[in-house]
Amino acid sequence: MSTREKVGWGIGGLVIIVYCLFPVAWIVSLSFKSSDDIANGQFLPTVFSGANYEQILVGDAAGLFLPALVNSFGICIIATFISCLLSMFAAYAIARLDFPGKKLILSTALAVAIFPVISIVTPLFNLWRQIGLYNTWPGLIIPYLSLTLPISIWTLSAFFREIPWEMEQAAQVDGATPWQAFRKVIVPLAAPGVFTTAIIAFFLAWNDFVYGISLTSTEAARPVPAALGLFSGASQFESPNGPIAAAAVIVTIPVVVLVLLFQRRIVAGLTNGAVKG
Amino acid sequence: MRHPRRRLTAMAVAVAVVAALAAACSSAPPGPPVLTWYINPDDGGQAEIANRCTAAANGRYTIATSTLPRQASEQRQQLVRRLAANDSSIDIMSIDPPYVPEFAQAGFLAPMPPAVEAAAREDRVPSSIEASTWQGRLVVVPFWANTQLLWYRKSAVAAMGLDMNQPVTWDQIIQAAARARTQIAAQGVRGESLTVWVNALVESGGGSVITNVGEEDPALIQLGLTAPPGIDAARILREFGDAGVAPPGFPTADEDTNAESFQSGSASFMVNYPFIWGKAKSGVEEGTLPQSVPDDYGWTLYPRTTPDRPSAPPLGGINLGVGAFSEHPDLAYEATTCISSPANSAYYFVSNGNPSSRISVFSDPAVLAEFPMAPTIRDSLTAAAPRPQTAYYAEVSGGIQRTFHPPGSVTPGPTNEAATALITAVLRKEALL
Amino acid sequence: MSTTLDRPTSAVDPTRGGKLNEKSRAERRLGWYLAGPAFAVMLLVTAYPIVQAIFDSLFDYRLTDPENSSFVGLGNYGVILTDSVWWTSFGVTVLITVVTVAVELVLGFALALVMLNALRGLRPVLRTVILIPYAVITVVSAFAWQFAFSVDSGFVNSWFSFLGTTPETDWFGTQGLSLFVICLAEIWKTTPFISLLLLAGLAQVPDVLQEAAKVDGATWWQRMRRVTLPNMKAAIMVAVLFRTLDAFRVFDSVFVMTAGANGTETVSFLAYRQTIERVEIGLGSAVSVLLFLSVVLISVLFIKGFKVDLSQARGE
Repeated sequence: MSTREKVGWGIGGLVIIVYCLFPVAWIVSLSFKSSDDIANGQFLPTVFSGANYEQILVGDAAGLFLPALVNSFGICIIATFISCLLSMFAAYAIARLDFPGKKLILSTALAVAIFPVISIVTPLFNLWRQIGLYNTWPGLIIPYLSLTLPISIWTLSAFFREIPWEMEQAAQVDGATPWQAFRKVIVPLAAPGVFTTAIIAFFLAWNDFVYGISLTSTEAARPVPAALGLFSGASQFESPNGPIAAAAVIVTIPVVVLVLLFQRRIVAGLTNGAVKG
Repeated sequence: MRHPRRRLTAMAVAVAVVAALAAACSSAPPGPPVLTWYINPDDGGQAEIANRCTAAANGRYTIATSTLPRQASEQRQQLVRRLAANDSSIDIMSIDPPYVPEFAQAGFLAPMPPAVEAAAREDRVPSSIEASTWQGRLVVVPFWANTQLLWYRKSAVAAMGLDMNQPVTWDQIIQAAARARTQIAAQGVRGESLTVWVNALVESGGGSVITNVGEEDPALIQLGLTAPPGIDAARILREFGDAGVAPPGFPTADEDTNAESFQSGSASFMVNYPFIWGKAKSGVEEGTLPQSVPDDYGWTLYPRTTPDRPSAPPLGGINLGVGAFSEHPDLAYEATTCISSPANSAYYFVSNGNPSSRISVFSDPAVLAEFPMAPTIRDSLTAAAPRPQTAYYAEVSGGIQRTFHPPGSVTPGPTNEAATALITAVLRKEALL
Repeated sequence: MSTTLDRPTSAVDPTRGGKLNEKSRAERRLGWYLAGPAFAVMLLVTAYPIVQAIFDSLFDYRLTDPENSSFVGLGNYGVILTDSVWWTSFGVTVLITVVTVAVELVLGFALALVMLNALRGLRPVLRTVILIPYAVITVVSAFAWQFAFSVDSGFVNSWFSFLGTTPETDWFGTQGLSLFVICLAEIWKTTPFISLLLLAGLAQVPDVLQEAAKVDGATWWQRMRRVTLPNMKAAIMVAVLFRTLDAFRVFDSVFVMTAGANGTETVSFLAYRQTIERVEIGLGSAVSVLLFLSVVLISVLFIKGFKVDLSQARGE
């Protein structure tokens, strides 16, 4: 590669960095503008102000935002955990065992993944009301499984195909049952894949908006994306752009941390198997 | 083959779900009944009133607040969906007036005890009583009442030769603003505020959006949009667009963006709620706005549609409803009396800038000190007309918003007919919205 | 679609292929024990609601007036399919889908090429930043773009005055400009995902073929068209299918940015408006069912028409 080409690709790389970070930088900058500075027409605040963070963390909006943050974390982590657990078993069965209905399970996962959320939210709302799951954690955890399970099953199946199965067979030859072989040999090998799947599933659950606004109504279960619509300005007519921006920054921090720590795994998880011939 | 591990797994899942359930619905603390009050987002005033009324109840009840979404239409969606499922946790609701008939007709409101009704009718501006009534009965307790005034910059208007001590018409201010190359800030965004505007124009012209108010069968609702006052309303909107007096981003301009245009001086007129006064004053306190700006604010009654007819200004605010499925309707009604008491109304007006539905509050010295335009607000509330009262308000308002947006581009006549056709079809469930 | 889903197990089991002995029966049972719970949960959260939605769509049923609900057969579908509002929303949805997927594909390919060719030291940095738009919540991204373009809190109007924007340019005031911003937000958020899929596809193109073409004197463009792209067809089609299905269901950005004003209503938003806002459960359910059928139709078209092999497919 010539020096000129290298420089060219390097500039391309810089463009990508700006492209990816610019809107994030903008919302961070906006979150530091005071309410009178919001309309300054500039990218940066005239004076950096922490007032928006103060409002959502200790001020008027703290009662809205902090419970929502706890809900978001709790619900997403539990949903991720359950979905990983279920999909681990399912993916193992799909990758390793010969049983009728395998196709059915994979087709179902695909169909669920392409399902329009808006189509199921109203029937789910009515059912939840009848059985008392409306506005509760399980009332969100269960629908979140519909977001996280399909991708978890597909991603994990792909990871499980990569595992050196000879080791399991060796264990089986040594007299272990398929179950023992799974537990003793495969689980340790599969752990990285499961971990990656968990991160991707967490992103999907964290991203939910429609379930959040439709199946909750109070601080008991409302997640952050739904709470963003509830902030208010000094009166009902004044727009709360500043607090929304601050809350947006705070909910972005966890995913950015995950990306920084585990970028290599996430890329592998998103693409591994996508183009295997 | 037995798999103990599988059972363990199932148990782990069950434990996780149960733990989540337990965290979500922690059991009610022992003590007085807790009344849940669903409030619209505000500047903390309703939460403070809840505390005051809890203290005043001397242990008979405790009021806890729960916040609804910012948009009135979304507040209504949330409440309607919960009430349709017979939710007993809704004791008190802050309801935007146009949705009162829907709640009443669906049986979502507990019947009001006569004593509460007698108290709720006392000392109220007439428009707030009208907006709290459905089929001749008072169904909600008026809490606070909002209205739009015509605001103007005294310095700019002085040069226009317009006497603001006399009632002015839309035509007059549009022409004056066009001549002076300034703007009139009005809400052009496709939202509830557009219905507010259209309705105020029609009512001020002596017409009504719905001519047979009280009709319960949606297919039989009669619309008055094609009558002369409706055509006149469309004419004013069109003139507003054609005269070049619309504020920046008119098709998306809402109350807050317009308050900014007026504050910055780019608009010399504005129709808006009194919150803009509090906004300007807090700007002065924070040092971002010179005192000369609010000093330059003038106010008068909402512009007329026709010269010979007093205007019917928009009516907003919040009414208090008691949920039909509440376990403590009597206590809840008792609490609404406390919440809407003269002292709490005055507190809410002064601290949050939301005018009272009580006539006496407007002569409270604390209110007058903070809001010198209080008498004008009272007069405006006295003349104000509610938005069309129907259990199908969302459909009527949605139909108006769809056909009258963007407001500067309506065609008097065809737009009115299109709106009538659309709303009629939607009410007969023959069209999407 | 199930015919394309057969995923061969990668390992060869020496005991397989014999008669149905005790061991393979145990294996079958274990298979369902392991996969059953996940399968049941997926059915519970989607099959039940869609059956209920189909049922509701046959009724004139208003949430606030359950006593007067009545069976109307396919009447709701008749109302929807003869209403220009449905077809407008459908057209807008198709437009957003086609524009975003096309731009994302081209842009995503460019990003993938840069990542492939960038200096070794820069690659992990690029891989990290490119994941950020993917990980940011859609609602947050929608708010960020909305605030950037809005008349009162934005900076776009003052930055791009050389392109003719004025402080009063109202990006959410007309259909064209609103759709432009909505597409921009969608493209920003999802191009990285496509580019990662394409990067993985690029990495799969055999170097031998590239070198051979180079030796034959093929230009960069010829190599791209004759060697790179044909070898990436599977990756491209999978990326396009998943993004198309995703884009067709667009809701969050529209909800946040315009709430459906100025002709920006998508099919998802139309379903939301009838069901949630108008509380006409029957009519809204019918819109939902039509949306579902559209998505199924797109999948079938892709799988049958373009022969997308989903055994290779994964993604959102």
